[in-house]
Amino acid sequence: MGFIDFIINSILTQASITIALIAFAGLLLQRKPFGEVMSGSFKTMLGFLVLSAGSSIIVGSLLYFGEIFSEGFGMEGIVPSIEAINGQAMNELGLANQIALTFLAIFIFNILLARLTKWKYIFLTGQALLWMATITTVFGSAAGFRGIGLILVGGLVGGIFAVAMPAIAQPIVKKITGGDDIALGHFCTIGYLFAAGIAKVVGKGSDSTENIKFPKGLGFLSDTYLSVAIVMMPLYVITAAFAGSEFGTALSGDVNYIVYAFLQAVQFVVGVYVLLSGVRLLLGEIVPAFRGIALKVVPDAKPALDCPVLFPYAPNAVTAGFVTTTIGTVIAMFVLPWFGLAMILPGMLTNFFAGGTAGIFMNAVGGRRGVLIGGIAHGFFITLLPALLVPSFNGLGFVNTTATDVDTVTAGLLFEWIIQPIMSLFG
Amino acid sequence: MLKILVVCGAGLGSSFACQMSVESVLQDIGVKADLDHSDISSAAGTRADIIISGKNFESQFQRYDLPMDLIFLERLVDKAEIEEKLVPVLKAKGAL
Repeated sequence: MGFIDFIINSILTQASITIALIAFAGLLLQRKPFGEVMSGSFKTMLGFLVLSAGSSIIVGSLLYFGEIFSEGFGMEGIVPSIEAINGQAMNELGLANQIALTFLAIFIFNILLARLTKWKYIFLTGQALLWMATITTVFGSAAGFRGIGLILVGGLVGGIFAVAMPAIAQPIVKKITGGDDIALGHFCTIGYLFAAGIAKVVGKGSDSTENIKFPKGLGFLSDTYLSVAIVMMPLYVITAAFAGSEFGTALSGDVNYIVYAFLQAVQFVVGVYVLLSGVRLLLGEIVPAFRGIALKVVPDAKPALDCPVLFPYAPNAVTAGFVTTTIGTVIAMFVLPWFGLAMILPGMLTNFFAGGTAGIFMNAVGGRRGVLIGGIAHGFFITLLPALLVPSFNGLGFVNTTATDVDTVTAGLLFEWIIQPIMSLFG
Repeated sequence: MLKILVVCGAGLGSSFACQMSVESVLQDIGVKADLDHSDISSAAGTRADIIISGKNFESQFQRYDLPMDLIFLERLVDKAEIEEKLVPVLKAKGAL
Protein backbone atom coordinates (compact mmCIF):
# COMPACT_ATOMS: atom_id res chain seq x y z
CA MET A 1 0.00 0.00 0.00
CA GLY A 2 2.87 2.31 0.79
CA PHE A 3 3.96 2.26 -2.81
CA ILE A 4 0.48 3.04 -4.15
CA ASP A 5 0.13 5.88 -1.66
CA PHE A 6 3.46 7.19 -2.83
CA ILE A 7 2.28 7.09 -6.47
CA ILE A 8 -1.01 8.79 -5.68
CA ASN A 9 0.15 11.36 -3.17
CA SER A 10 3.60 12.22 -4.38
CA ILE A 11 3.60 11.60 -8.12
CA LEU A 12 0.10 12.06 -9.53
CA THR A 13 -0.46 15.22 -7.50
CA GLN A 14 2.46 16.79 -9.34
CA ALA A 15 0.80 18.36 -12.35
CA SER A 16 4.01 18.49 -14.36
CA ILE A 17 4.34 14.72 -14.00
CA THR A 18 0.66 14.06 -14.76
CA ILE A 19 0.76 16.08 -17.93
CA ALA A 20 4.04 14.47 -19.00
CA LEU A 21 2.39 11.07 -18.51
CA ILE A 22 -0.57 12.17 -20.66
CA ALA A 23 1.84 13.18 -23.43
CA PHE A 24 3.75 9.91 -22.92
CA ALA A 25 0.55 7.87 -23.35
CA GLY A 26 -0.50 9.90 -26.41
CA LEU A 27 2.88 9.43 -28.09
CA LEU A 28 2.90 5.70 -27.32
CA LEU A 29 -0.61 5.38 -28.78
CA GLN A 30 0.63 6.90 -32.01
CA ARG A 31 3.49 4.35 -32.02
CA LYS A 32 6.17 7.00 -32.19
CA PRO A 33 9.80 5.86 -31.96
CA PHE A 34 11.18 5.53 -28.43
CA GLY A 35 13.41 8.61 -28.70
CA GLU A 36 10.50 10.82 -29.74
CA VAL A 37 8.31 9.48 -26.97
CA MET A 38 10.91 10.32 -24.37
CA SER A 39 11.84 13.75 -25.71
CA GLY A 40 8.19 14.63 -26.25
CA SER A 41 7.21 13.68 -22.71
CA PHE A 42 10.16 15.51 -21.25
CA LYS A 43 9.51 18.67 -23.26
CA THR A 44 5.90 18.64 -22.09
CA MET A 45 7.01 18.48 -18.47
CA LEU A 46 9.66 21.12 -19.00
CA GLY A 47 7.04 23.36 -20.62
CA PHE A 48 4.75 23.02 -17.67
CA LEU A 49 7.45 24.01 -15.20
CA VAL A 50 8.65 26.91 -17.35
CA LEU A 51 5.05 28.13 -17.43
CA SER A 52 4.91 28.07 -13.62
CA ALA A 53 8.18 29.96 -13.39
CA GLY A 54 6.84 32.64 -15.74
CA SER A 55 3.70 32.95 -13.71
CA SER A 56 5.55 33.63 -10.48
CA ILE A 57 7.45 36.42 -12.23
CA ILE A 58 4.13 37.96 -13.34
CA VAL A 59 2.62 37.64 -9.89
CA GLY A 60 5.64 39.32 -8.29
CA SER A 61 5.32 42.25 -10.65
CA LEU A 62 1.54 42.51 -10.21
CA LEU A 63 1.82 42.50 -6.42
CA TYR A 64 4.12 45.50 -6.61
CA PHE A 65 1.84 47.22 -9.12
CA GLY A 66 -1.21 46.63 -6.94
CA GLU A 67 0.48 48.34 -4.00
CA ILE A 68 1.60 51.44 -5.87
CA PHE A 69 -1.75 51.71 -7.66
CA SER A 70 -3.85 51.68 -4.52
CA GLU A 71 -1.43 54.15 -2.87
CA GLY A 72 -1.35 56.41 -5.94
CA PHE A 73 -5.04 56.44 -6.87
CA GLY A 74 -6.79 55.28 -3.71
CA MET A 75 -8.50 52.46 -5.56
CA GLU A 76 -7.87 49.03 -6.94
CA GLY A 77 -6.57 48.77 -10.49
CA ILE A 78 -7.06 45.40 -12.07
CA VAL A 79 -4.73 44.12 -14.77
CA PRO A 80 -6.64 41.80 -17.08
CA SER A 81 -4.36 38.86 -17.85
CA ILE A 82 -5.56 35.33 -18.37
CA GLU A 83 -1.92 34.22 -18.19
CA ALA A 84 -1.68 35.60 -14.66
CA ILE A 85 -4.97 33.92 -13.69
CA ASN A 86 -3.67 30.62 -15.01
CA GLY A 87 -0.39 30.98 -13.15
CA GLN A 88 -2.03 31.86 -9.85
CA ALA A 89 -4.61 29.07 -10.16
CA MET A 90 -1.84 26.55 -10.83
CA ASN A 91 0.57 27.70 -8.15
CA GLU A 92 -1.19 29.54 -5.35
CA LEU A 93 -4.52 27.68 -5.46
CA GLY A 94 -2.93 24.31 -6.15
CA LEU A 95 -5.31 23.49 -9.01
CA ALA A 96 -2.60 22.59 -11.52
CA ASN A 97 -3.39 18.92 -11.66
CA GLN A 98 -7.10 19.44 -12.15
CA ILE A 99 -6.43 22.03 -14.86
CA ALA A 100 -4.17 19.59 -16.71
CA LEU A 101 -6.78 16.84 -16.57
CA THR A 102 -9.63 19.19 -17.53
CA PHE A 103 -7.54 20.31 -20.50
CA LEU A 104 -7.39 16.67 -21.60
CA ALA A 105 -11.13 16.24 -20.93
CA ILE A 106 -11.95 19.24 -23.15
CA PHE A 107 -10.02 17.59 -26.00
CA ILE A 108 -12.01 14.40 -25.55
CA PHE A 109 -15.39 16.16 -25.32
CA ASN A 110 -14.47 18.24 -28.37
CA ILE A 111 -13.84 15.09 -30.42
CA LEU A 112 -17.03 13.45 -29.14
CA LEU A 113 -19.19 16.50 -29.86
CA ALA A 114 -17.65 16.95 -33.31
CA ARG A 115 -18.34 13.30 -34.03
CA LEU A 116 -21.92 13.29 -32.72
CA THR A 117 -23.27 16.74 -33.60
CA LYS A 118 -23.41 18.89 -36.73
CA TRP A 119 -20.63 21.10 -35.40
CA LYS A 120 -17.63 19.42 -37.03
CA TYR A 121 -14.93 21.62 -35.53
CA ILE A 122 -11.69 20.55 -33.93
CA PHE A 123 -10.35 23.35 -31.76
CA LEU A 124 -6.60 23.51 -32.25
CA THR A 125 -5.65 26.68 -30.40
CA GLY A 126 -4.07 24.93 -27.45
CA GLN A 127 -3.40 27.94 -25.24
CA ALA A 128 -7.05 29.06 -25.50
CA LEU A 129 -8.12 25.60 -24.32
CA LEU A 130 -5.66 25.82 -21.46
CA TRP A 131 -7.16 29.13 -20.35
CA MET A 132 -10.65 27.65 -20.70
CA ALA A 133 -9.61 24.66 -18.56
CA THR A 134 -8.25 27.11 -16.00
CA ILE A 135 -11.51 29.03 -15.70
CA THR A 136 -13.80 25.99 -15.60
CA THR A 137 -11.58 24.47 -12.91
CA VAL A 138 -11.42 27.63 -10.80
CA PHE A 139 -15.15 28.33 -10.99
CA GLY A 140 -16.16 24.68 -10.97
CA SER A 141 -14.34 24.12 -7.72
CA ALA A 142 -15.81 27.35 -6.31
CA ALA A 143 -19.24 25.96 -7.24
CA GLY A 144 -18.51 22.89 -5.14
CA PHE A 145 -17.35 20.33 -7.71
CA ARG A 146 -14.52 18.03 -6.68
CA GLY A 147 -12.44 15.24 -8.14
CA ILE A 148 -13.66 13.54 -11.27
CA GLY A 149 -16.92 15.55 -11.29
CA LEU A 150 -14.95 18.79 -11.52
CA ILE A 151 -12.97 17.50 -14.48
CA LEU A 152 -16.01 16.11 -16.33
CA VAL A 153 -18.13 19.24 -15.87
CA GLY A 154 -15.22 21.46 -16.92
CA GLY A 155 -14.47 19.19 -19.87
CA LEU A 156 -18.08 19.24 -21.02
CA VAL A 157 -18.49 23.02 -20.72
CA GLY A 158 -15.11 23.58 -22.43
CA GLY A 159 -15.94 21.00 -25.11
CA ILE A 160 -19.23 22.72 -25.91
CA PHE A 161 -17.47 26.07 -26.25
CA ALA A 162 -14.81 24.43 -28.45
CA VAL A 163 -17.37 23.40 -31.07
CA ALA A 164 -20.00 26.11 -30.60
CA MET A 165 -17.72 29.17 -30.89
CA PRO A 166 -16.20 28.20 -34.26
CA ALA A 167 -19.73 27.28 -35.42
CA ILE A 168 -21.29 30.66 -34.64
CA ALA A 169 -18.34 32.51 -36.17
CA GLN A 170 -18.28 30.45 -39.35
CA PRO A 171 -20.79 32.45 -41.45
CA ILE A 172 -18.64 35.58 -41.15
CA VAL A 173 -15.36 33.62 -41.43
CA LYS A 174 -16.62 32.25 -44.74
CA LYS A 175 -17.31 35.77 -45.90
CA ILE A 176 -13.78 36.85 -44.87
CA THR A 177 -11.80 33.95 -46.32
CA GLY A 178 -14.06 33.28 -49.28
CA GLY A 179 -13.99 29.58 -48.47
CA ASP A 180 -15.10 26.99 -45.97
CA ASP A 181 -11.79 25.20 -45.29
CA ILE A 182 -10.75 26.77 -42.02
CA ALA A 183 -12.61 27.91 -38.96
CA LEU A 184 -11.73 30.33 -36.19
CA GLY A 185 -10.69 28.80 -32.88
CA HIS A 186 -10.30 31.70 -30.49
CA PHE A 187 -12.25 32.22 -27.31
CA CYS A 188 -13.14 35.86 -27.96
CA THR A 189 -15.85 34.93 -30.43
CA ILE A 190 -18.83 36.32 -28.51
CA GLY A 191 -17.08 39.70 -28.62
CA TYR A 192 -16.51 39.37 -32.38
CA LEU A 193 -20.18 38.70 -33.02
CA PHE A 194 -21.25 41.49 -30.68
CA ALA A 195 -18.92 43.89 -32.52
CA ALA A 196 -20.01 42.62 -35.93
CA GLY A 197 -23.66 43.05 -34.94
CA ILE A 198 -23.10 46.71 -34.08
CA ALA A 199 -20.95 47.24 -37.17
CA LYS A 200 -23.70 45.84 -39.34
CA VAL A 201 -26.27 48.24 -37.92
CA VAL A 202 -24.16 51.40 -38.12
CA GLY A 203 -21.99 50.59 -41.12
CA LYS A 204 -24.49 50.30 -43.92
CA GLY A 205 -22.82 51.25 -47.21
CA SER A 206 -19.49 52.18 -45.58
CA ASP A 207 -16.34 51.50 -47.63
CA SER A 208 -13.85 48.76 -46.65
CA THR A 209 -10.85 49.62 -44.46
CA GLU A 210 -8.63 47.87 -46.97
CA ASN A 211 -8.95 50.84 -49.32
CA ILE A 212 -7.33 53.25 -46.85
CA LYS A 213 -3.59 53.90 -46.75
CA PHE A 214 -2.49 53.26 -43.18
CA PRO A 215 0.74 54.37 -41.55
CA LYS A 216 3.08 51.39 -41.59
CA GLY A 217 4.49 52.56 -38.26
CA LEU A 218 1.93 50.66 -36.23
CA GLY A 219 3.21 47.36 -37.63
CA PHE A 220 5.59 46.78 -34.73
CA LEU A 221 2.56 46.31 -32.47
CA SER A 222 2.04 42.89 -33.97
CA ASP A 223 5.15 41.94 -31.99
CA THR A 224 3.31 40.76 -28.90
CA TYR A 225 5.93 41.49 -26.29
CA LEU A 226 6.73 44.94 -27.61
CA SER A 227 3.09 45.93 -27.55
CA VAL A 228 2.67 44.75 -23.96
CA ALA A 229 5.82 46.61 -22.94
CA ILE A 230 4.67 49.83 -24.57
CA VAL A 231 1.61 49.94 -22.36
CA MET A 232 3.02 48.49 -19.16
CA MET A 233 6.03 50.82 -18.94
CA PRO A 234 4.16 54.14 -18.84
CA LEU A 235 1.45 52.54 -16.72
CA TYR A 236 3.91 51.48 -14.03
CA VAL A 237 6.01 54.63 -14.19
CA ILE A 238 3.05 57.04 -14.01
CA THR A 239 1.47 55.03 -11.22
CA ALA A 240 4.73 55.07 -9.26
CA ALA A 241 4.93 58.84 -9.72
CA PHE A 242 1.43 59.20 -8.26
CA ALA A 243 2.30 56.89 -5.38
CA GLY A 244 5.12 59.29 -4.55
CA SER A 245 8.78 58.86 -3.75
CA GLU A 246 8.34 58.00 -0.09
CA PHE A 247 6.01 55.06 -0.71
CA GLY A 248 7.87 54.03 -3.84
CA THR A 249 11.27 54.06 -2.14
CA ALA A 250 9.96 51.86 0.67
CA LEU A 251 9.36 49.19 -1.98
CA SER A 252 12.37 49.85 -4.18
CA GLY A 253 15.10 50.05 -1.53
CA ASP A 254 18.35 51.44 -2.92
CA VAL A 255 17.06 51.77 -6.49
CA ASN A 256 15.39 55.01 -7.54
CA TYR A 257 11.63 54.40 -7.27
CA ILE A 258 10.84 55.45 -10.84
CA VAL A 259 13.61 53.28 -12.26
CA TYR A 260 12.35 50.45 -10.11
CA ALA A 261 8.80 50.86 -11.48
CA PHE A 262 10.19 50.83 -15.01
CA LEU A 263 12.10 47.61 -14.29
CA GLN A 264 9.05 46.00 -12.71
CA ALA A 265 7.05 46.77 -15.86
CA VAL A 266 9.73 45.06 -17.91
CA GLN A 267 9.63 42.23 -15.41
CA PHE A 268 5.92 41.80 -16.22
CA VAL A 269 6.79 41.40 -19.89
CA VAL A 270 9.54 38.94 -18.94
CA GLY A 271 6.95 36.92 -17.06
CA VAL A 272 4.59 36.85 -20.04
CA TYR A 273 7.49 35.87 -22.28
CA VAL A 274 8.63 33.02 -20.04
CA LEU A 275 5.09 31.82 -19.47
CA LEU A 276 4.25 31.74 -23.17
CA SER A 277 7.54 29.96 -23.95
CA GLY A 278 6.42 27.35 -21.45
CA VAL A 279 3.05 27.09 -23.15
CA ARG A 280 4.80 26.63 -26.49
CA LEU A 281 6.92 23.76 -25.13
CA LEU A 282 3.91 22.28 -23.40
CA LEU A 283 1.67 22.28 -26.46
CA GLY A 284 4.31 21.37 -29.04
CA GLU A 285 3.73 17.65 -28.59
CA ILE A 286 0.13 17.62 -27.42
CA VAL A 287 -1.59 19.58 -30.19
CA PRO A 288 -0.29 17.54 -33.18
CA ALA A 289 -1.17 14.34 -31.32
CA PHE A 290 -4.67 15.66 -30.69
CA ARG A 291 -5.03 16.73 -34.30
CA GLY A 292 -3.91 13.31 -35.52
CA ILE A 293 -6.37 11.48 -33.29
CA ALA A 294 -9.22 13.92 -33.94
CA LEU A 295 -8.95 13.72 -37.71
CA LYS A 296 -9.06 9.92 -37.52
CA VAL A 297 -12.22 9.94 -35.40
CA VAL A 298 -13.94 12.81 -37.23
CA PRO A 299 -12.76 12.59 -40.84
CA ASP A 300 -14.71 15.58 -42.20
CA ALA A 301 -13.74 17.87 -39.33
CA LYS A 302 -12.66 21.46 -39.89
CA PRO A 303 -9.66 22.70 -37.93
CA ALA A 304 -10.49 25.76 -35.82
CA LEU A 305 -7.30 27.84 -35.75
CA ASP A 306 -5.92 30.80 -33.84
CA CYS A 307 -7.08 34.26 -34.88
CA PRO A 308 -3.93 35.58 -36.63
CA VAL A 309 -4.57 33.16 -39.51
CA LEU A 310 -7.28 35.65 -40.50
CA PHE A 311 -4.97 38.70 -40.27
CA PRO A 312 -3.63 38.53 -43.84
CA TYR A 313 -7.18 38.77 -45.22
CA ALA A 314 -7.67 42.35 -43.97
CA PRO A 315 -4.48 43.80 -42.43
CA ASN A 316 -5.84 47.36 -42.25
CA ALA A 317 -8.89 46.18 -40.37
CA VAL A 318 -6.58 44.53 -37.82
CA THR A 319 -4.81 47.79 -37.07
CA ALA A 320 -8.06 49.77 -37.10
CA GLY A 321 -9.85 47.26 -34.89
CA PHE A 322 -6.94 47.26 -32.45
CA VAL A 323 -6.97 51.06 -32.17
CA THR A 324 -10.75 51.43 -31.83
CA THR A 325 -10.98 48.56 -29.34
CA THR A 326 -8.25 50.17 -27.25
CA ILE A 327 -10.21 53.44 -27.24
CA GLY A 328 -13.22 51.46 -26.01
CA THR A 329 -11.23 49.83 -23.21
CA VAL A 330 -9.87 53.19 -22.07
CA ILE A 331 -13.40 54.64 -21.95
CA ALA A 332 -14.59 51.58 -20.02
CA MET A 333 -11.69 51.93 -17.58
CA PHE A 334 -13.01 55.35 -16.51
CA VAL A 335 -16.73 54.65 -16.81
CA LEU A 336 -17.09 51.28 -15.04
CA PRO A 337 -15.96 52.50 -11.57
CA TRP A 338 -18.93 54.94 -11.60
CA PHE A 339 -21.18 51.90 -11.57
CA GLY A 340 -19.39 50.37 -8.63
CA LEU A 341 -17.31 48.03 -10.77
CA ALA A 342 -13.54 47.64 -10.57
CA MET A 343 -11.20 49.78 -12.63
CA ILE A 344 -9.93 47.45 -15.38
CA LEU A 345 -6.73 48.66 -17.03
CA PRO A 346 -6.48 48.09 -20.78
CA GLY A 347 -5.05 44.64 -21.53
CA MET A 348 -2.90 45.04 -24.60
CA LEU A 349 -2.54 41.38 -25.48
CA THR A 350 -6.30 40.99 -25.81
CA ASN A 351 -6.73 44.39 -27.38
CA PHE A 352 -4.37 43.46 -30.15
CA PHE A 353 -5.49 39.92 -30.89
CA ALA A 354 -9.19 40.23 -30.09
CA GLY A 355 -9.42 43.85 -31.27
CA GLY A 356 -7.63 43.01 -34.51
CA THR A 357 -9.82 40.03 -35.24
CA ALA A 358 -12.95 41.98 -34.32
CA GLY A 359 -11.74 44.58 -36.82
CA ILE A 360 -11.76 41.97 -39.58
CA PHE A 361 -15.25 40.83 -38.59
CA MET A 362 -16.60 44.39 -38.37
CA ASN A 363 -15.05 45.38 -41.68
CA ALA A 364 -16.63 42.36 -43.36
CA VAL A 365 -20.14 43.47 -42.41
CA GLY A 366 -19.90 47.22 -41.74
CA GLY A 367 -16.84 48.74 -43.42
CA ARG A 368 -14.94 51.69 -41.92
CA ARG A 369 -17.82 53.18 -39.97
CA GLY A 370 -18.55 49.71 -38.61
CA VAL A 371 -14.96 49.29 -37.41
CA LEU A 372 -14.90 52.70 -35.76
CA ILE A 373 -18.16 52.50 -33.80
CA GLY A 374 -18.26 48.72 -33.42
CA GLY A 375 -14.65 48.70 -32.20
CA ILE A 376 -15.29 51.18 -29.41
CA ALA A 377 -18.34 49.14 -28.35
CA HIS A 378 -16.21 45.99 -28.55
CA GLY A 379 -13.57 47.50 -26.26
CA PHE A 380 -16.25 48.45 -23.78
CA PHE A 381 -17.82 44.99 -23.95
CA ILE A 382 -14.57 43.07 -23.41
CA THR A 383 -13.82 45.23 -20.37
CA LEU A 384 -17.30 44.99 -18.86
CA LEU A 385 -17.45 41.18 -18.77
CA PRO A 386 -14.12 40.70 -16.96
CA ALA A 387 -15.13 43.47 -14.53
CA LEU A 388 -18.15 41.39 -13.51
CA LEU A 389 -15.82 38.56 -12.51
CA VAL A 390 -13.50 40.68 -10.35
CA PRO A 391 -15.38 40.22 -7.04
CA SER A 392 -15.27 36.44 -7.50
CA PHE A 393 -11.57 36.48 -8.32
CA ASN A 394 -10.84 38.62 -5.29
CA GLY A 395 -12.92 36.29 -3.13
CA LEU A 396 -10.94 33.33 -4.41
CA GLY A 397 -7.63 34.97 -3.51
CA PHE A 398 -6.34 36.16 -6.89
CA VAL A 399 -4.04 39.17 -6.86
CA ASN A 400 -5.07 42.33 -8.77
CA THR A 401 -6.05 40.53 -11.90
CA THR A 402 -8.97 39.23 -13.90
CA ALA A 403 -9.52 36.97 -16.88
CA THR A 404 -9.58 38.12 -20.51
CA ASP A 405 -11.05 36.39 -23.56
CA VAL A 406 -14.80 36.95 -23.39
CA ASP A 407 -15.83 33.36 -24.16
CA THR A 408 -13.67 32.14 -21.30
CA VAL A 409 -15.12 34.86 -19.07
CA THR A 410 -18.61 33.82 -20.19
CA ALA A 411 -17.84 30.25 -19.10
CA GLY A 412 -16.84 31.66 -15.70
CA LEU A 413 -20.07 33.66 -15.47
CA LEU A 414 -22.04 30.55 -16.49
CA PHE A 415 -20.61 28.74 -13.47
CA GLU A 416 -21.10 31.74 -11.22
CA TRP A 417 -24.68 32.64 -12.23
CA ILE A 418 -26.25 29.35 -13.30
CA ILE A 419 -24.33 26.24 -12.30
CA GLN A 420 -23.43 27.33 -8.78
CA PRO A 421 -27.03 28.30 -7.78
CA ILE A 422 -28.25 24.97 -9.13
CA MET A 423 -25.52 23.15 -7.21
CA SER A 424 -26.48 24.91 -3.98
CA LEU A 425 -30.14 23.87 -4.46
CA PHE A 426 -28.99 20.26 -4.31
CA GLY A 427 -26.13 20.77 -1.89
CA MET B 1 19.25 18.42 -40.90
CA LEU B 2 17.48 21.32 -42.59
CA LYS B 3 15.93 23.55 -39.95
CA ILE B 4 12.75 25.50 -40.69
CA LEU B 5 11.31 28.01 -38.25
CA VAL B 6 7.75 29.31 -38.51
CA VAL B 7 7.15 32.71 -36.91
CA CYS B 8 4.18 34.77 -35.72
CA GLY B 9 3.54 37.51 -33.18
CA ALA B 10 3.26 35.43 -30.02
CA GLY B 11 4.79 32.23 -31.37
CA LEU B 12 1.86 30.17 -30.20
CA GLY B 13 -1.18 29.78 -32.39
CA SER B 14 -0.89 30.75 -36.01
CA SER B 15 2.79 29.87 -36.37
CA PHE B 16 1.95 26.45 -34.97
CA ALA B 17 -0.99 25.99 -37.34
CA CYS B 18 1.29 27.04 -40.19
CA GLN B 19 4.00 24.64 -38.99
CA MET B 20 1.55 21.74 -39.18
CA SER B 21 0.65 22.70 -42.76
CA VAL B 22 4.34 22.98 -43.68
CA GLU B 23 4.88 19.57 -42.14
CA SER B 24 2.27 17.94 -44.34
CA VAL B 25 3.61 19.71 -47.45
CA LEU B 26 7.10 18.40 -46.66
CA GLN B 27 5.68 14.94 -46.20
CA ASP B 28 3.97 15.11 -49.58
CA ILE B 29 7.14 16.15 -51.40
CA GLY B 30 9.31 13.79 -49.37
CA VAL B 31 11.63 16.23 -47.62
CA LYS B 32 12.78 15.69 -44.06
CA ALA B 33 13.34 18.78 -41.94
CA ASP B 34 13.48 19.90 -38.37
CA LEU B 35 10.48 22.16 -37.73
CA ASP B 36 9.74 24.57 -34.93
CA HIS B 37 7.70 27.70 -34.30
CA SER B 38 8.51 30.85 -32.39
CA ASP B 39 7.65 34.51 -31.80
CA ILE B 40 9.13 37.32 -33.83
CA SER B 41 11.18 38.77 -30.94
CA SER B 42 13.06 35.50 -30.55
CA ALA B 43 13.29 34.65 -34.25
CA ALA B 44 16.20 36.96 -34.99
CA GLY B 45 18.37 35.12 -32.50
CA THR B 46 17.51 31.61 -33.66
CA ARG B 47 19.52 29.50 -36.02
CA ALA B 48 17.44 28.17 -38.89
CA ASP B 49 17.95 27.60 -42.59
CA ILE B 50 14.54 28.87 -43.62
CA ILE B 51 12.10 31.16 -41.82
CA ILE B 52 8.44 31.15 -42.80
CA SER B 53 6.09 33.89 -41.61
CA GLY B 54 3.04 35.92 -42.53
CA LYS B 55 3.16 38.70 -45.11
CA ASN B 56 2.29 41.18 -42.36
CA PHE B 57 5.68 40.54 -40.70
CA GLU B 58 7.77 41.23 -43.78
CA SER B 59 8.67 44.80 -42.86
CA GLN B 60 9.80 43.77 -39.39
CA PHE B 61 12.10 41.06 -40.66
CA GLN B 62 13.80 43.59 -42.92
CA ARG B 63 15.20 45.36 -39.87
CA TYR B 64 17.16 42.30 -38.83
CA ASP B 65 19.05 41.59 -42.05
CA LEU B 66 18.96 37.85 -41.54
CA PRO B 67 21.22 35.48 -43.48
CA MET B 68 18.66 32.69 -43.92
CA ASP B 69 15.97 32.33 -46.57
CA LEU B 70 12.75 34.10 -45.70
CA ILE B 71 9.34 33.10 -46.99
CA PHE B 72 6.27 35.26 -46.41
CA LEU B 73 2.80 33.80 -46.84
CA GLU B 74 -0.50 35.48 -47.67
CA ARG B 75 -2.42 32.59 -46.17
CA LEU B 76 -0.63 30.80 -43.35
CA VAL B 77 -2.31 27.42 -43.71
CA ASP B 78 -2.75 27.29 -47.48
CA LYS B 79 -0.75 24.23 -48.54
CA ALA B 80 -0.76 25.20 -52.22
CA GLU B 81 0.85 28.55 -51.45
CA ILE B 82 3.34 26.95 -49.03
CA GLU B 83 4.38 24.42 -51.64
CA GLU B 84 4.64 27.03 -54.37
CA LYS B 85 6.95 29.25 -52.29
CA LEU B 86 8.89 26.56 -50.43
CA VAL B 87 9.81 24.26 -53.31
CA PRO B 88 12.11 26.76 -55.13
CA VAL B 89 13.94 27.48 -51.87
CA LEU B 90 14.38 23.80 -51.15
CA LYS B 91 15.68 23.22 -54.66
CA ALA B 92 18.18 26.06 -54.32
CA LYS B 93 19.39 24.49 -51.09
CA GLY B 94 19.69 21.10 -52.73
CA ALA B 95 17.24 19.55 -50.31
CA LEU B 96 14.91 18.55 -53.11
